[in-house]
Amino acid sequence: MIDPGHAVERELPSPAFEGESRRPAQSYWNESWERLRSNRIGIVCGSLILVLALIAIAAPLFTQFLTHYEPFRLDLDNTFQPPGHPHLLGTDELGRDTLTRLIYGGRVTLGVALLTVALSLTLGTTVGLAAGFYGRWIDDLLMRFVDVVLAFPAIFLFILMAILFRPTPITLAAIIASVGWGGVARLVRGEVLSVKQRDFILATQSIGARDGRLIVRHLLPNVLPVLIVAASLGVGQIILIEAALDFLGLGIQPPTASWGNMLTNSQSYFFHSVWLVYFPGITIFVTVLAANLFGNAVRDAFDPRLK
Amino acid sequence: MTQTLLEVQDLRTVFATKDGNVKAVDGVSFHLDAGETLGIVGESGCGKSVTAMSIMGLQRPGRIVGGKVLFKGNDLTKASEAEMREVRGQQIAMIFQDPMTSLNPVFRAGWQVAEPLRLHRGVDFVKALAGAVAMLGRVGIPSPAERAKNYPHQFSGGMRQRAMIAMGLTTTPQVLIADEPTTALDVTIQAQILDLLRTVNREFGTATILITHNLGVVAGMCERVMVMYAGKVVESGPTVDVFAHPKHPYTWSLLRSIPRLDAERHEPLKPIEGLPPNLIDLPPGCAFQPRCPFRIERCSRDTPALNRVGETQLAACWVTQAGTELKDA
Repeated sequence: MIDPGHAVERELPSPAFEGESRRPAQSYWNESWERLRSNRIGIVCGSLILVLALIAIAAPLFTQFLTHYEPFRLDLDNTFQPPGHPHLLGTDELGRDTLTRLIYGGRVTLGVALLTVALSLTLGTTVGLAAGFYGRWIDDLLMRFVDVVLAFPAIFLFILMAILFRPTPITLAAIIASVGWGGVARLVRGEVLSVKQRDFILATQSIGARDGRLIVRHLLPNVLPVLIVAASLGVGQIILIEAALDFLGLGIQPPTASWGNMLTNSQSYFFHSVWLVYFPGITIFVTVLAANLFGNAVRDAFDPRLK
Repeated sequence: MTQTLLEVQDLRTVFATKDGNVKAVDGVSFHLDAGETLGIVGESGCGKSVTAMSIMGLQRPGRIVGGKVLFKGNDLTKASEAEMREVRGQQIAMIFQDPMTSLNPVFRAGWQVAEPLRLHRGVDFVKALAGAVAMLGRVGIPSPAERAKNYPHQFSGGMRQRAMIAMGLTTTPQVLIADEPTTALDVTIQAQILDLLRTVNREFGTATILITHNLGVVAGMCERVMVMYAGKVVESGPTVDVFAHPKHPYTWSLLRSIPRLDAERHEPLKPIEGLPPNLIDLPPGCAFQPRCPFRIERCSRDTPALNRVGETQLAACWVTQAGTELKDA
């Protein structure tokens, strides 16, 4: 004890104090999670995305036990079957089962979305942290580069890339991420600039922490909320971009199924077999809507600036 | 025989702005003995904090353009970044003005208080946390083991400042720099924190530099005081003597601008007229001269050096160096 007299005096249990100290530690994360849980729309939408993702992961199981078809199996005797039995959502012009293809297409579409978000967050966060923390010429250099990336007409890049590389889910994700990370970098840099002003950064420097530790252990957790928000709002957008690229023939190429290229494929049969347009269209619509609503819920729960 | 721990010699720190170089610290010299408490006072923007940051090597974006910071004989201005990291938090610890923002909101308090131990002693997390809990208890946080699990927002301002002090003390540094440690706290908590700093100084033998603009705090805490104005030391000496017989008109004016218990009734407070000068292009002569009620012709011509005035004090003033007493006109 430094000073027994004072210490004893301070440790006298005052009722208010005891009560307060028994409150469980509520971290920022706990509180945000509580807020998210109480948002019913957000939870429903989040669960829907989760279910779609699980279906996509378990695609072979589903197709084996539910639809009994394989995504590439042609059945030229049964083309353009309307929804019903045995093809729940009908068949296309080559007799392929629509539901099976939708499930497999979900693998591609959701996989691309996830990978794109991961890539653009990683790159954007790294650049944003470096630019915001080091400032000066590093900041200028990196941010001007970001400006260039953001000013680049993305559609031309997509066309060029589709010509140069045969788009696979991985290259497609890399291409979409290569234009998507700029916004993340700006967001992170802005947040770093504001967090950097706070005394705890100075305090951490004053206890002799390295820059690396300062950035990873102290800055990054403080910008994580905006990253979570950016990620969850980005998913819907990326699914739309991916679908649009597929639709234009710049994305995933047939015969691999994706929601976008199923839509392209079916447009020729619009008046003939309209369900071929409906099902991928509705799937995209519902997924994007759910992703955006979930993104909004996450923002309401996590964004420190909305409190 | 006291041992000089920290000696600052002719320190100069500038900040480059588009209007020119701001000389935030302009030739500051002082020393700090082991175990003593030194007060640095002055109004906002006179270079107190920059002096402290320059000692720690954290003056960026400012630049140290001259002088030495000798810590136990080693010049810290020439130390490498790796050497500085060893000094920071291990030899010299610092606490800040605003306890509301000086703890990282996303980590538990115990984790943060334990961080210097993990950085400098290489101990594992469990041991460091035990050390942190013990230290939290010593700085007067009740049920420290429970409290270590709390997040900073669950702490009051006073408790956060205690936690900051605990964090600084875990590695038993020889110097504690407290930069306006009580400015953001309410008066009763101020008294408790100052009390704690005094105890720390006594029990741990930590030499303390207390930066403040509150003369009352200095009077109660510090053996020696140093008054800064426009990036320069204008007066220094034992607190008792400086307060009783200020030898620089700035100190004299400061003392008359605050209320005191032993003043004559109805005696009005006398604010210091004017504003501190622009630190980019200081006029020749004494920086305080335009606001000084005692100025003589020489003051606007030559810059006075910090010289011995009276028995124990140093002052940078032509008037008092010439032997004139500072008295009401």
